[in-house]
Amino acid sequence: MQKIFNLACGSFYALGAYVGVSAVSWYTSAGGPAALFVLPLALAGLAVGAIGFVVERGLLRFVYDRDETFQLLLTFAVVLMMEDAIRLTWGTSPQSTSALYLTYGQVRVLGATAPVYNLIVIAASLVIALLIGGLLTRTTFGRIIRAAADNREMVEALGVDLRRVYARVFTLGTALGTLGGALVIPATAAMSEMGIELIVEAFAVVVIGGLGSMRGAFVGALVVGVLRAIAISVYPELEMLLIYLIVIAVLVLRPRGLFGGAAA
Amino acid sequence: MITTRRYFVKLVGGAAVAAGAGLDAGPTRAQAAPVKLGVLAIRAGIAAPVGTAGLRGTEWWLERVNKAGGILGRPVQLVVEEESNPKDTVERYRKLVLQDKVEAVLGGISTGVTLALGPVAEDLGTPWLSWDGTTQKGVDETMPSPKWAFKSVDNEVEAIVAGILTPKYFKGIKTVAGIGNDYSYGHDCWESYQAVLKRYIPDVKFVLELFPKLGVTDFTSHIAAIQQAKPDLLMCSFWSGDATILMKQAAAVGLFKTMKGVFTTAGGVHDSLKKEFTPEGLLLGYNTMYFDDPNGSALLKRFVREYKAKYNEYPPYECDHAYFNAESYRVAVEKAAGGGTTWPSRAAVVKALEGIEVESLSGRRSWREDHVQMCNFYQGLTTHKNPYDFVTLSPLEVVSTRTAMKPAGAKLFDWINSWKI
Repeated sequence: MQKIFNLACGSFYALGAYVGVSAVSWYTSAGGPAALFVLPLALAGLAVGAIGFVVERGLLRFVYDRDETFQLLLTFAVVLMMEDAIRLTWGTSPQSTSALYLTYGQVRVLGATAPVYNLIVIAASLVIALLIGGLLTRTTFGRIIRAAADNREMVEALGVDLRRVYARVFTLGTALGTLGGALVIPATAAMSEMGIELIVEAFAVVVIGGLGSMRGAFVGALVVGVLRAIAISVYPELEMLLIYLIVIAVLVLRPRGLFGGAAA
Repeated sequence: MITTRRYFVKLVGGAAVAAGAGLDAGPTRAQAAPVKLGVLAIRAGIAAPVGTAGLRGTEWWLERVNKAGGILGRPVQLVVEEESNPKDTVERYRKLVLQDKVEAVLGGISTGVTLALGPVAEDLGTPWLSWDGTTQKGVDETMPSPKWAFKSVDNEVEAIVAGILTPKYFKGIKTVAGIGNDYSYGHDCWESYQAVLKRYIPDVKFVLELFPKLGVTDFTSHIAAIQQAKPDLLMCSFWSGDATILMKQAAAVGLFKTMKGVFTTAGGVHDSLKKEFTPEGLLLGYNTMYFDDPNGSALLKRFVREYKAKYNEYPPYECDHAYFNAESYRVAVEKAAGGGTTWPSRAAVVKALEGIEVESLSGRRSWREDHVQMCNFYQGLTTHKNPYDFVTLSPLEVVSTRTAMKPAGAKLFDWINSWKI
């Protein structure tokens, strides 16, 4: 909606991961029951999303009308700064939540063993997707967001304070990123460069799904995730190549992505 | 304004000269100008913990040496620069030698970088002692007889050690899967491990090989593929946080309940391999230093104690490479000085380094005549019977590079195939 290319979304993800690790270790050392560790994890992930407000009001609002190159440079600068800030705060060693990942045990699903925590994350993602969908289609705020994405001037002419909308949308987006980072961390470990890793895949997802489309992002993410998993099982050498082949195919055959609007 | 600043600079300069003259009074001080050593350490990215460990090992050495009066009476100073990509690191190396005028450069971890540093070190005529980087292209040496460059053990040694130990500890292995990072180290380790294992178990089948790129943090799909291939054993050459992640995600689906595991290099992140998700009975490699070695020297025990007190971690192997480099340089300088106090020429130091043996953290280590490190490799089966919250080794196997590293000038696979088993 803000028509801004934000490279820093990966850094928000990384930040959420690190803050999640810290919150959980604080929670465990304070004697909190292991079974409820997702609560402090998710809360910390959401709370640190507030940094989105600072970044939007402090930096991004100055470049909305500038050339996209400036936006890329600015957000890339944020990526580098966040990476160093993370290293300064948490050090260079990977941080992890130890064995909490295994707290919920495993289940057999269709003949395969799956960690219950993974299922919790999948369920949480679906709930978040539904909530966002509901917000966009069923609330006044959502209608304003969609309208602003279509035609900023008209929305402003109708008396909407776009600055406030931008700040809220960006903070919401950031909070989703940091929450995502926090939720993924029990299954893996936080590393300072994880943000950059993510951004490459995120761009593939967005290109496949279509810029500016929520449904596109959802389907694009599924396509990328599932195809990678299949490639690893069937022909591992293809894993990364396959994603880029699809990206190229989409760019050539359907440049606006699977669900992208005509203008994107 | 300008006059004032000039005046100020003069004043400060004058004061410094006066102070210096005061300090330098007397002939005993003539030798006491500090000796500068350059250090190249990775500070960012996936190998940052390794670079940090190397730097900490060097700093610990520095403190001890300076407390004992320095080298030939000269205090030692470190000039630390960052190891990053080959191009920038070569620039920093040149800066260390040409601008900072260091006597020698220590450090270098990534073979991608040190492959480029080797020729530069030769060109600039200053000793360079590499912590963990080789000048190998794949498993082939590119600089068989260097003058100034001193290199790490060959990259594939730990995979060879693991290959030798696998048939000893795991009987009846018929099928093996491998996972490693998608760059030279991962591929070379896998090739070498296969070559060695085939010598011991001629009919062994390698059913799957996976090479995720460095920095991947989700191995769920890889683990599913490994489960599907149903190997008797999984070999993994991860050495950073990815080893911990793989271990945790494997535990979440009970992978090692159905197969054996060999982690050639995961000792690099040993204290993150928590008991909750790291099973007993995996073959685990600690590279060249095992912090909990029951036969460890007083030096090792003291280092481990002080490292833990200072950083709240248990030291990984890179500390030992770094300590050995610095210590071998000190001993070589004193050897080249022949008991005198005159600082020897760089060429004389290099001569003294060749074949020198010194006490490092892990025990006695030496430089082979062709400038390659010689040392012991520590591997063994993981155990939970220890006071820590992570796994350690029991039984512990100590294998020398004399057994597990190709001799100078040999071709790796010809050498492996020439073994009498």
